[in-house]
Formats: sequence, C-alpha cells, structure tokens
Amino acid sequence: MLKLHQWKLLALGLAANILLSANFALGDTKRWNVINWLDVISEGGAALLALVWLLLILQSRPAGRVTQWLSLGLSCIFLAGFQDWLDEFITFPDAALWDHWVESGLMPIGLGLLTLGIYHWHQEQIAINEQLRKRERLFREHRGLDFITQLNGATYLRKQLQQELSTHYHSHSSLALVFIDIDYFDDTNRRYGHQEGDRFLQALGEFILLNIRGTDLLCRYAGDRFALVLPNTGRIMAEALSAEITRALHHFAFKSRTQGESIFHTASIGIALTDSHRQDTADSLIERATIALLHAKEKRKSTLDKVA
Amino acid sequence: MSFPHSTTHDCYYFPQTWREIDTPFIYAGGWPHSLIELACARGHQEHKLLRNTGIFLQDLAHNTLQFSAAQLFQLIENILKHPAGHELAFLLCHDVFTNNAKLDNAANLHDFLELFAGHSYAISPLLSPHFHYEQERLVIYWQDNFGADLIMPFLLEMIFTALQVYTRRRAGYQLPWAFHVSHNKPAYIEQYQVHLGERVLFNARGNAVSIARTELYRQWHTSDSSIQLAQVSTIGENRHHGITTPVVRGFLHEIYHYLKTNIQHNPHLEKTAQDFGMSSASLKRKLQKHNSSFQQQFDQARKHLALDWLSKEGVTQEEIAQHLHFYDAANLRRAFKRWTGQLPGKL
Repeated sequence: MLKLHQWKLLALGLAANILLSANFALGDTKRWNVINWLDVISEGGAALLALVWLLLILQSRPAGRVTQWLSLGLSCIFLAGFQDWLDEFITFPDAALWDHWVESGLMPIGLGLLTLGIYHWHQEQIAINEQLRKRERLFREHRGLDFITQLNGATYLRKQLQQELSTHYHSHSSLALVFIDIDYFDDTNRRYGHQEGDRFLQALGEFILLNIRGTDLLCRYAGDRFALVLPNTGRIMAEALSAEITRALHHFAFKSRTQGESIFHTASIGIALTDSHRQDTADSLIERATIALLHAKEKRKSTLDKVA
Repeated sequence: MSFPHSTTHDCYYFPQTWREIDTPFIYAGGWPHSLIELACARGHQEHKLLRNTGIFLQDLAHNTLQFSAAQLFQLIENILKHPAGHELAFLLCHDVFTNNAKLDNAANLHDFLELFAGHSYAISPLLSPHFHYEQERLVIYWQDNFGADLIMPFLLEMIFTALQVYTRRRAGYQLPWAFHVSHNKPAYIEQYQVHLGERVLFNARGNAVSIARTELYRQWHTSDSSIQLAQVSTIGENRHHGITTPVVRGFLHEIYHYLKTNIQHNPHLEKTAQDFGMSSASLKRKLQKHNSSFQQQFDQARKHLALDWLSKEGVTQEEIAQHLHFYDAANLRRAFKRWTGQLPGKL
C-alpha cells in the first residue's frame, strides 16, 4: 500500500528537510545546559506519534480524497510538532517570527484538515457499512472471516446469536435461525475438484445475499452449510423466505470453469425459532436448527428415492 | 483376536522390520499433495506452510517422492497454526481413497473393510485400523503408528470423514457410523456437525468408529454385474491369496503388536529391547522419538486386550486380570479406570 503514496511521503520528507536547513541557517544552537529535556521528549514524542499515525493510515488505505485529507492534516501536524521540537535546540533572533508561524500556524491548519478527513472517513464508512450489510450486524470481528466467501464463520454466528437472543427475550419478539445445506455437494467437489467447489460456494454466498432482507445476516457455518439469522421474524415469514431461497437456488445455473456446463443444486432447510416461554442459548438454537435440517434431509432423500 | 482360553504358550512373536518416524515411505502424490494444494488455495502462505518440513513445492511433481511421517506431522502442525486450518482435515475425503481402485470392487461394507485392512498401510499410513466385534457392533480402533501426539485429532478427522463420505457414495445412503474420539469437544465443533453428523462422542475410551453388524452385508451398487455372495469371516485376519507385499509396520504399531501378541509372556523393557535388537536405552530413546514410552505402549496393549475380552461372554474379570498380569481383579479395575476414565463394567 505504501507504494501508492510514495509522492506524499517524498514531499513530506522534503518539507521536513527544508525546515531543518532553515532552522540551522537562520538560528543559533542552544548551549547544553539551557536545553529542557522534558520538553524535548514530550514535543519530540508528539511529532513522532503523528508520523506513526500517518504511516499506519497510508499503509491501510488506497489513494483517494479521504486519504488525501487525512495525510495532509497529519503532515501539517507533524511539521508543526517538528518545528516545536527544533525550537528546543535552536534560538532565533527576536525579530524572526517565521518559526512561530510554522509552529502555531500549521497546527490549527493540520487539525482542521484532519477533522475534515475524519468527517469524510465517517461518510465513507457509512457507505461501506451499507456494502457489508447482511454480512455483519451489531459488531465487527475481522478474525474468523471465511477466506472463500468473505462471510463470517460459526464463531461469529454463535456470538451474534447470544447477543440477539438476550435482547429478543426481553423485547418478546421472535428470532429465526435458518440453516441452508446443499444436497450432494460432495459429488460436485469430487467431480469438478475443490477449486470449482470453492468457486460455487463463493457464488452461492453472493447469491443468497441477493435474496435476503437488509436486516438479515448470512454466515458460512461450515462446509456447504450456511446460516441465516432473521431478527423479528415469525414462523410464517421464515418459511416463506426459506422457500424463496430454495426456489431461487433451484434455478441457479452455476457454470463450471473448464467446460462451461451448468451445474444445478438443490438445498435442504432447517428452521429454528425462539420461543417466548423459554430462554434459548446460541447452542440450543443451533442444535434445533440442525435437527430440523437433518429431518428435512431425510424426508427429501425418501422423496428423491421414490422418484428414482 | 484370540480368547484368553485358547492362547497357546508356544507361539512367540519376534519383531519384523519396521518403519520409523523419519523413514520416507508415503507417496507425496496422494493426499499430501492435495493437502498442500488445498492449503495454498485457501490462503495459507507457502513459506509458512512448508517451514521446517524439508518439503519443496517444486519437488512435488516427482512421482517417486516420498515423505516421512515426521515431515507430514510438521506440515499438519503448520497448517493448524492458520486460523482456519482445522477445516482442511474434513476436505481431503476424496483424496484418501481415490487412488485405490481396488476398493471400488467392494460389493458391501464387509468387502470394503477387508480390502481396506489388507492395504491399510498404503491408504492410511499414519493410523492403522484394529477390528473388534463387540456384541452387535463392529468397532474399529485407530492406532497411532508413529506418535502423532497433538495432531492426532487432525488425522482422525481426516480418516473419519473419508470413511463417511466414501461409504455414503458407494452405498447410496448415509451409513449409521458412530465416531468416538478421546479428545475434548473442539472449538470448531461446526466442522464435526456438518461433515461427520451428530453421532460423535468426545472424551471417549479410545479413538474408534463403530457400526451395527447388520450393515456389513447390505449390498452396494457395483459397476460390474458380478454379485458376490456374502462371506462370513473376520475382518483383519490376513486371508489374502496371491502376492501381497509383506506388511511393514510403523514402529509404534510393531511394538504394540509385539506386546499384544506376547502378552502371556509378560514382556518387559529389557526383553523387548533384546528382541528388537537394541539396548534398553536405545529402545527408550526410540520410543521417546515417537512421543511415547514403554509403559504407555504396554498399557495401551493391555487396555485394548481388556476391552476386547470384556466384550466377550463368559470371561471373568479375574481371568482377564490374570492374563494381563495384574495381582487381582481390583488392580485391573483401578488400572482400567486410569486408562479409560471408566470402570470395566460390561459394555
């Protein structure tokens, strides 16, 4: 990432160098015994931290307007701090005012620019949250993100359920957990290889996201099993939504990479709903959804056998 | 497996050649290759993955390349350092059995397991299966051949999933396998639920899979029309005709087999070392290299014998205690409790 911002860093280095040369050219160095070391450490530390923040931000962000504001602001703060620090070693004739201007002028400008940057960052984050909607709710945890689907995993699901369940129990609204499991996914993996299987799972994640509401949350539980959390949803709604997803999935013609042929899948569904009479835990809800799913699989299997 | 009554005192087993943890004998082209490929495809970094294994990615193309158990243990250890590393054990199911076309000739579960037992060192080089009939069930215990230690769960997950998926495909339905593992319920329990189902028992007496004996002879779909008649025999006894390569066991397996077969001679460290052609100190060192000790192996052999005999009718605990060289039945019960966490009631 830093490569993207090499001009910004170069310009900052140049400005710091000019400042340093100007200081030495126009001022006189102080004697050792008049230097206040506490000020040296605190002012130098502040400038150094501003530099660290700048580097961290540049390393984690692509170029763009928000990055521009943030880096400009932090650069100004750094230069002001740097001049402040140099003042501890160098004295200027009383007539010279430029060092005060650098010090006291750059700081408010820098802070203003930084504020502007953070404000735009906030706006940007709202836009990104909109993108992440359906993938996360209430809290964010980047560890445990699934590599294939970029969805959250089972650990996140359990934490999420725990949190939702306590609020739902108190507000007497119901919550539905739906497991979506692909039938005979092993066969796809065996016939087309893991890479195709992974591509399918990734596409499937996106596909399910298109078919759910903004308030719902999709996680990848494990393997070919996805978990859908439907807050404030009763049985009828949960069943209707699940039916929509299975119907949509039935017509999802995934294309293999090599031959380009269509691969069709069906899915089984297991639904568990919270009950106003007892307090569920994440594990008990997951267990009930799993049992429902296994029942559905069994039923499905027998109907498939009858057809065959 | 013999009854205590029928053991004859003149059969004494002398150790055969064995393979050690650093003997290269596992072909890289099978599941090890798939494991590395899969890990790379799932965001594992190559240099972290192969660190300290002595494996180089460019060598994998060679058909003749062979890995030692130690190399594979290190590879799996590296994989488990990745936050999603546990998942891979459950995904290799198609690579463990596919390279063995012989298995595809099996017409039912019994045939399959017999073929599997006959070629277990080619198919499952790190864990060897031991077959026991316990009343209405067939129980297959999985023994650690080379001292897998902490990565044992990974190996078990791999072979269990492979077994589950392969038999489901061949039989055309989900076989009612039950899985027993001696480790604790892991944090990644969802992988067990999705890949192995709900019949998994943690903190069990041993690492085993079990199935009702009635499943053994249910006909599977076969590609050729020849329908084989059900043969009634005990799986695991070598009744293979024709040329088969002689069995070369892993070091721990050979020690275990030696101790178990010679149990009536009350084998001890000095005698065992002598029979294996080395000093007691060398044997101790070698066992240590395989993350084990003589006492551990001796106890394991006695535990399995005890489990086996306890499941049979008409064998009393006193007799078992005597055959396993315990002072009395009370001592056996204490030891059994220590080995398994349970008392040796009828199973």
